[in-house]
Amino acid sequence: MELTSFVFLMFCLLTILIYFIIPKKFQWFILLISSIVFLFWNNFNISTVIQALIVLIPTYILGIQIEKYSNTKKGKLFLIIGIVIILGQLAYLKYTNLFLTTAKHLLNLINIEYKFTPVYRDSLIGISYYSLIMISYLVDIYRGVCKSQKNIFKCALFMSYFPILSSGPFIRYNDINEDLYGKHEFDYTRMCNGLVRVLWGIFKVLVISERLSIFVNAVYGNLGSFNGIFIVAAAIFFTLQLYTNFSGSIDIIMGISEVIGIKLPENFSLPFFSKTITEFWRNWHITLGAWLRDYIFYPLQKSNIIQRLNKKCKEKFGKKIGKKIPLYLTMLIMWILIGVWHGGAYTYIIGSGLLQFLFIFLEDILEPLAKKINSKLHIDMNSIGYKIYQIIRTFLLFSFAMIFFRATSVSNAINIIRSIFNFDIPLFTNISLIELDIFDFIILIASLIVLFIIQLIARKGSVREKLSRKNIVFRWIILYALIFAIIIFGCYGPNYNPVAFIYKQF
Amino acid sequence: MNKNIKKTIVFLLIFFALLYCTTKILWLPKNSVAYFYDEPKNSLDVIYIGSSNAYAHFNTTLAYNLYGYTTALLSTDSQPFVLTKYLIKESEKYQHPSLYVIDLAKASDLLDSYTGEELRNTIDAMEFSKNRIDAINEALSYKKDISKNEYVNYYFSFLMYHNRYKSIYGNLIKYNTLYKGYLFVKDTTIIQPQDEYIWNKNMTELEEENNIILYSLIDYIKDKNINVLFIVPKRYYETKENEKINQIIKILQENKLTVINFNTLEDFNNIIDFNTDFYNARHLNVYGATKYTLYFAKYLKENYQLQDHREDEKYSSWSTEYERFKKDFNKLTNKNFDELLLEYKKTKI
Repeated sequence: MELTSFVFLMFCLLTILIYFIIPKKFQWFILLISSIVFLFWNNFNISTVIQALIVLIPTYILGIQIEKYSNTKKGKLFLIIGIVIILGQLAYLKYTNLFLTTAKHLLNLINIEYKFTPVYRDSLIGISYYSLIMISYLVDIYRGVCKSQKNIFKCALFMSYFPILSSGPFIRYNDINEDLYGKHEFDYTRMCNGLVRVLWGIFKVLVISERLSIFVNAVYGNLGSFNGIFIVAAAIFFTLQLYTNFSGSIDIIMGISEVIGIKLPENFSLPFFSKTITEFWRNWHITLGAWLRDYIFYPLQKSNIIQRLNKKCKEKFGKKIGKKIPLYLTMLIMWILIGVWHGGAYTYIIGSGLLQFLFIFLEDILEPLAKKINSKLHIDMNSIGYKIYQIIRTFLLFSFAMIFFRATSVSNAINIIRSIFNFDIPLFTNISLIELDIFDFIILIASLIVLFIIQLIARKGSVREKLSRKNIVFRWIILYALIFAIIIFGCYGPNYNPVAFIYKQF
Repeated sequence: MNKNIKKTIVFLLIFFALLYCTTKILWLPKNSVAYFYDEPKNSLDVIYIGSSNAYAHFNTTLAYNLYGYTTALLSTDSQPFVLTKYLIKESEKYQHPSLYVIDLAKASDLLDSYTGEELRNTIDAMEFSKNRIDAINEALSYKKDISKNEYVNYYFSFLMYHNRYKSIYGNLIKYNTLYKGYLFVKDTTIIQPQDEYIWNKNMTELEEENNIILYSLIDYIKDKNINVLFIVPKRYYETKENEKINQIIKILQENKLTVINFNTLEDFNNIIDFNTDFYNARHLNVYGATKYTLYFAKYLKENYQLQDHREDEKYSSWSTEYERFKKDFNKLTNKNFDELLLEYKKTKI
């Protein structure tokens, strides 16, 4: 069930209708039923049922036990058992090929021939999301941040709340339990606000992202046929495709939850206005970053090994440099894990992990030098021009990293980068391979301008709030324009082959 | 009523009105089925249902000019026979014709052999109604390996046509709605060898699907007491098609329904010239169509109670379209249509 499919939207409509019709004390149960239907919609078999139970049952039982033995060795042991079970299954289902590829490369280094056939295991939708969500649940109980859920069905709902299974965001038990299990009255204003957000999300996915994907697929699928300028354009377009696809699906998810009365954490905060990669990641996939910060980065920083390393480095390299080395090491581990989470392939580890770390590392160590140079050249770092330069630089660096993210293999990514310097082919040769006509380009440019304007307005506060203050005629014109832009210009229906939601595969 | 409910109702009403207009402007296929809805209520005497043979063979404007009765061609390219019953139902909502002519050229085909476009040509032109949904459900039930999503794509035609804004200018030209649905083709193919056109009298058993569709149509016609004439157009048929059509003719005749097979009518076949009258193996050109219309229009006038509207101002559009056809014919062929008619009439067509 794709988020923009007719079936999914009807499924949500039906869920919402029943949700507000039945007695309030059963509302959470309807969400559970819908979540189970969604979870097993395309993939109902004994293996997937066991997969779900392998996470649910131990988490439920261990959660209660951890609470009972909090701050004791037994509690810690239960926590470790829970994490091992959840991560063990996730690694088995998603990362077997990554382990085998790594083993192959390492054995090749010592001249041992090792061949393997890639393994494809059937896994449930959202496994990468609900696995981490359940780990955070156990850790939070251990830390005393939240209480354990004593009702296994409610625990199952927290694990499988259907809107977030396809693209997130990551939720925390403490933030959501009241909304998830609470009683909700139907609220007209909330419904309108939620639906506007759903429409905006659909617009981003169907009008912009799907159209961009036609360009990107054509260019990346025929690397040798295009001038380097087209390869650069494809790299930039892919970043925009990824953003509109991912943030659009998040808008749909947030909007549906808003109609129900469940407030989810924001996952994006205008990332393309960021002036550094560090700032970019504070605004991009915010909940993943926060999860890794709270459950990986801080615990690692506080771990005995890092503390000991910190002490030794300070002794050897002095206080200033010495404290940075363990920090960079922890960051490196965290970024590798971000890459691993995105997919069991080196392209993800490089694209969304190592390169991001490298950029942040360089930003940090080169910052004093950049300040000196700017000062000598009398460049005002607070000027609008300099800020625009920083924004463009950040965007291009991220787009470069996304070449790896999009590539089918590391060698494919290197080929793409090489093709950037291919200027032998005349500029508009093979343009017919791109199945976008002049109408599509006009729509694409117009919709990107609309997106940019909306983002500019959003910098100064909620666009929906601003819209709700306008008179009804203006509001309705905007809404009809949005709806008909989707209906007429959206890439959907039998004439299009939709690209799957990019973050759904994680 | 609660203010918010009122607002929602108004919002939805405006939305559906806009969607309806957009559908009309952007997405409605400009074929004779769509054009049918533009004809004034109860203004049609004959409704002629079939595939491309219907709109390429029968010149409705010429029939009107000769005898004054009006004919609508509910026909699209390779129109599946299963839709016939639903097109009659659709017609009955707006018209009460004296006669339905049903072309059997596609009656032996199986739905699974169609790509889908043939179904869509007709279905997408039908207005949204229960009848349209029923037509989709029955037609798709004969197609193998069809997903639920595909049903949805058929129910809501904008899912298919929403990107037609790209060809809005070309799309607005009602190419098939000129001359009251008749499609004028002037090119000629010399048919060789001609003995492939000799009608084979053997019969082949029908597939279960053909039987279900045929008997369902017969039951409907009998139940509603509708006046129907079945015809088999003059054209090339594969041996199996020919033999299955013979079986269909037998079943129809057993049910006391009239069938004319133009492939076996000696006097009609005597006037058809294989060197001048075919557009291709399966279609007559404008010369063949003129001969066919002269012959068939006369037959209809002589055998059915059809009104003459030529003196009625309300039917002036039929004369206008006939004049348009003649003018275009003269221009495109460098011949004079009136002289052609005289020449054909001399041969006692």
